[in-house]
Amino acid sequence: MAILDITPTPTAEVASADTLWTKIRYHAVAHPLGLAGAVIMLVFVFAAVFADFITAYDPVATNAAISLLPPGHAHPLGTDAMGRDIYSRIVYGARISLAVGLGSTALGSILGVILGLASGYIGGWIDLVIQRIVDILQAMPLLVLALVMAASLGPALGNTIVAIAIPLIPYTARVIRSNTLALREQPFVEAARAVGMSELRIAVRHVLPNTLAPLIVIATAQLGAAILTEASLSFLGLGVPEPHPSWGRMLSESAAEYVRVAPWLVVFPGLAISLAVFGTNLFGDALRDILDPRLRD
Amino acid sequence: MTAKLTALAAAVIAAAASISAVPAAEPKHGGILRIYHRETPPSLSIHEEATFSVNVPAMGLFNNLVIYDQHVPQNSMQTIRPELATSWAWSKDNLSLTFKLRHGVTWHDGKPFSAKDVKCTFDLLQDKAQDKFRKNPRKDWYANVADVTINGDDEVTFHLRRPQPSLLAMLASGYTPIYPCHVSPAQMRTHPIGTGPFKFVEMKQNESIKLVRNENYWKKGLPYLDGIEYTIIRNRATAVLAFVAGKVDMTFPTEMTKALIADIKKQDPTAICEIKPINVNTNLIVNRDSPPFNDPQLRRAMALALDRKAFIDIILQGEGDIGGTLLPPPEGVWGMPPDVLKTVAGYGDVNKDREEARAIMKKLGYGPDKPLKIKVSTRNLATYRDPAVVLIDQLKQIYIDGELEPVESSAWFAKVARKDYSVGLNLTGNGIDDPDQAFYENYACTSERNYTHYCNKDLEKLFDQQSAETDVDKRKKLVWEIDKKLQEDVARPVLFHARTGTCWKPYVKNLTIMSNSAYNGYRFEDIWLDK
Amino acid sequence: MGTYIVRRFALMLLTLFGISVLIFVMLRMVPGNIADILFDAAGMIDVSEKAKLEHELGLDKPIIVQYAEWISGLARGDLGYSYVSEKPALDEIAPRIPITAKLAGLALAFSVIFGVPLGVLSAVKQNSMLDYVLRVVSLSGLSMPAFWLGLLILMVFVSAFGSIPIYTDPPQGFWSALGLYSVPAAAVGFRSSALVMRLTRSSMLEVLRQDYIRTARAKGAADWMVNYRHALRNALLPVVTVIGIEAAFLMGGLIVTETVFNIPGVARFLVEAIRWRDYPIVQNLVMFIAAVAVAVNFLIDLLYAVLDPRIRYAS
Repeated sequence: MAILDITPTPTAEVASADTLWTKIRYHAVAHPLGLAGAVIMLVFVFAAVFADFITAYDPVATNAAISLLPPGHAHPLGTDAMGRDIYSRIVYGARISLAVGLGSTALGSILGVILGLASGYIGGWIDLVIQRIVDILQAMPLLVLALVMAASLGPALGNTIVAIAIPLIPYTARVIRSNTLALREQPFVEAARAVGMSELRIAVRHVLPNTLAPLIVIATAQLGAAILTEASLSFLGLGVPEPHPSWGRMLSESAAEYVRVAPWLVVFPGLAISLAVFGTNLFGDALRDILDPRLRD
Repeated sequence: MTAKLTALAAAVIAAAASISAVPAAEPKHGGILRIYHRETPPSLSIHEEATFSVNVPAMGLFNNLVIYDQHVPQNSMQTIRPELATSWAWSKDNLSLTFKLRHGVTWHDGKPFSAKDVKCTFDLLQDKAQDKFRKNPRKDWYANVADVTINGDDEVTFHLRRPQPSLLAMLASGYTPIYPCHVSPAQMRTHPIGTGPFKFVEMKQNESIKLVRNENYWKKGLPYLDGIEYTIIRNRATAVLAFVAGKVDMTFPTEMTKALIADIKKQDPTAICEIKPINVNTNLIVNRDSPPFNDPQLRRAMALALDRKAFIDIILQGEGDIGGTLLPPPEGVWGMPPDVLKTVAGYGDVNKDREEARAIMKKLGYGPDKPLKIKVSTRNLATYRDPAVVLIDQLKQIYIDGELEPVESSAWFAKVARKDYSVGLNLTGNGIDDPDQAFYENYACTSERNYTHYCNKDLEKLFDQQSAETDVDKRKKLVWEIDKKLQEDVARPVLFHARTGTCWKPYVKNLTIMSNSAYNGYRFEDIWLDK
Repeated sequence: MGTYIVRRFALMLLTLFGISVLIFVMLRMVPGNIADILFDAAGMIDVSEKAKLEHELGLDKPIIVQYAEWISGLARGDLGYSYVSEKPALDEIAPRIPITAKLAGLALAFSVIFGVPLGVLSAVKQNSMLDYVLRVVSLSGLSMPAFWLGLLILMVFVSAFGSIPIYTDPPQGFWSALGLYSVPAAAVGFRSSALVMRLTRSSMLEVLRQDYIRTARAKGAADWMVNYRHALRNALLPVVTVIGIEAAFLMGGLIVTETVFNIPGVARFLVEAIRWRDYPIVQNLVMFIAAVAVAVNFLIDLLYAVLDPRIRYAS
């Protein structure tokens, strides 16, 4: 267990960077699907970051003259009923989807880790209480919970992130708890205790880092689920409000009306969602294979 | 040979045409008319509701004292016909209106109809009855009615505080059915009883509403239909598919957009579709009390920035009308004619107006580098959100940087009533094409629906003056003057009046869609199916 | 074992109690109530009428009292009245449950029929071209929003057959019901079958590496015998778990699919009831859904205990 003394030196950093790169190359070759997933994710991140430079139109500018144009030269993915460029809206929409996806996954993971760690490491009545909370959250269907939360918080970006994050907590908390339970009995924890480290310090410095692998695996899987939930919420009229070009909103009632008149309104945003989630799933699968030794082939 | 075939084909077509033309004159009995419904209505008790989601399925259950002619698209004083009343007469001083009532009419449960039922209905509406409505949204319509008295079983008189010709218009609306004395308001919500051509069978939330023919309808031989079934389909795309696939005979009235109609006509060229005004206007509400909008200059600049034609082109693919508060002609009876409308500030050349607006904004200290940041609040429904998105886009032209704040329907009117908004986008539906309803409801100082609390006592005097005016032409002039003043005061700038469409299969006969109201045309007693 | 069941059952009740508090409090945090919504269409809120209505529905009572009334009613089997239709909540909820249950059952059946065999196939042919294709297809199933898949299916149906499987009337008879439900069930079940396939595959792989399988092979059992008899039986256990969990997750897919295909089931009804702030419907319906989810988990735990002798339950 090398985590006992992480005292990074400049030379060690160079060395680890070198091995990290080698590792990445090794895994990339061993997991071509994971590599594909990573590439897809990077494309969306790139689109989100450089949206201003890779689009020609304002995603919220309306124009009656170019309403419902099919995909063509000027508008590669066509325009919607208000004459807004679909390509621009999808590119800018990557920002919203990634913000919601990453934001809610991060929030859900942080809360899940805190609960899981407290539950597993401290145990006792705290464990009991937290486990009941987790039970309760888990018994509510994810979308129902998110739906009621989104309705009570009102449609706004921040609120949507919270509404999606809360239902993600229980699974993370469960896994972190069981990992922590196992780690608590490990010799290096005993050793730390023997040298008089405080319990909180042990939990944060020694137990937490060892739960990172499963956490990353879970978080990647949840990233996809979060993006999908945002889409469903927006489809049902809750979620990120107009004029923000959210992918789910683009598919909602008013757009779905044109499913036959202008199928591109429905096809492309749906493709964007599916592709982004597909990328995270591919990548998450590979990560799991790499990080979870039980499943290593 | 070819010529012969062509001739033969022509003969066959001509024969077919003549065959189909013959029964058109002779209505057939029987069949169930299937219509899709856009949502589950809260109840079918018309008096307690305020949406034509209720009027469409519920009008067939009831009768009024008088009703707008169901086959003249433009509702007006000239098209009011007797229904439960056989005739009516104003007193000399125009302060009382007396109706003679029809004999031999029975309620769906077999009890006889009498003048007492009329009295009960208006007692309920005026909150004078023992029983109370759960909601009473049109109480204000009868604010000028001092009392309703009966004389025996077949005469009823309305006593007014001041002359009000529009009372008859309100009584002729689909919103004003006669309710039975012997059925409580609570029962009317769950199982309505009327005198109308159809009887209530059942309403299942999210699923369907079923009506069946009233065998004892007082109009002999009517209705032609055996019943009407409404299938509730919330998603409009799904609803269009259901219509094209023949699962319903008719779309929900006024729910089709131009693009959807184009699609329907492509799939089913025989479908009949009509696009007409619905007398619902989309308007801007500005909080006159909260800075910086307490400055009339800023409000004026906003009004000047509006490009009404662009709204209509973008939101409605051109299917809309520019006007003031009242629906513009030719469909509207009372709206400002084009030559008057032209003279209203903000209805002229958009580029010039925006130039002026920018000048005002600069004078107020705003500019391209220092935009005014505002929130545009509206209900979280597509018909509200879409124009708000266009509005935000247009306000950019005059250095106003708007952000949309969608508000859940449940919170919207509470928020507006609290004045917890700066700029809002609102829809105002008019049950009847009538100046009294439009002015008193939306612009009177004490009206609950006067969201901006615009209050002009001088103008209110004009409201009363036009209301009591019995000469239609004189009244029109007054109405135009008021409407012009309201627009120039930026009381509640009207963006556009929407036109929307209804489609039905060609075998649905005798259906007339009203052209200046979406609330009055659904008695459906003489619709028949040619199949 | 006996004490375990009792303990587990007590925890289940505790969870349900927690859910009842959570949904009750959350609903009352949602802005606006039924009175606001009912007045909404009138374009104004008459304060005195609103107060009267709130009083009539008991919404003006202290929140603790409202909660106590609900729970004591629930215990007596009295679910109260829907605020919107004014009919007993039970009469509104009960007839919709079979509709959604049929849809969910059919979707789960799809997921097992396709998921399990394909999962086994994928595991047995690990790292082959077929394995890759199956993995990519199943992953794409997990990546598509269910409502989008539904919309695409509708599009394809109309252009190919000119008609659509939209629910307009209750189906008569088994075959018409199957015809009506199978398309939306496929839209929902695609995701579930992808999940089942992936789990079958990974638990198969794990089992295939176990010693007794190697022993069986060494003993000369035919390959397919080993794969299907020994391995599958052991791999099915985690799959059963996932199906249990998925049954609860299905709800999300059902909500959007019932919306797209206009099916008057319980899932869409819930969304509508939330929109109407119809507390008696939402509260009782969420409790019902949660009770099903909790009960399924309970049964699966029991099933585990019975099926897998290695699991010991200390009290």
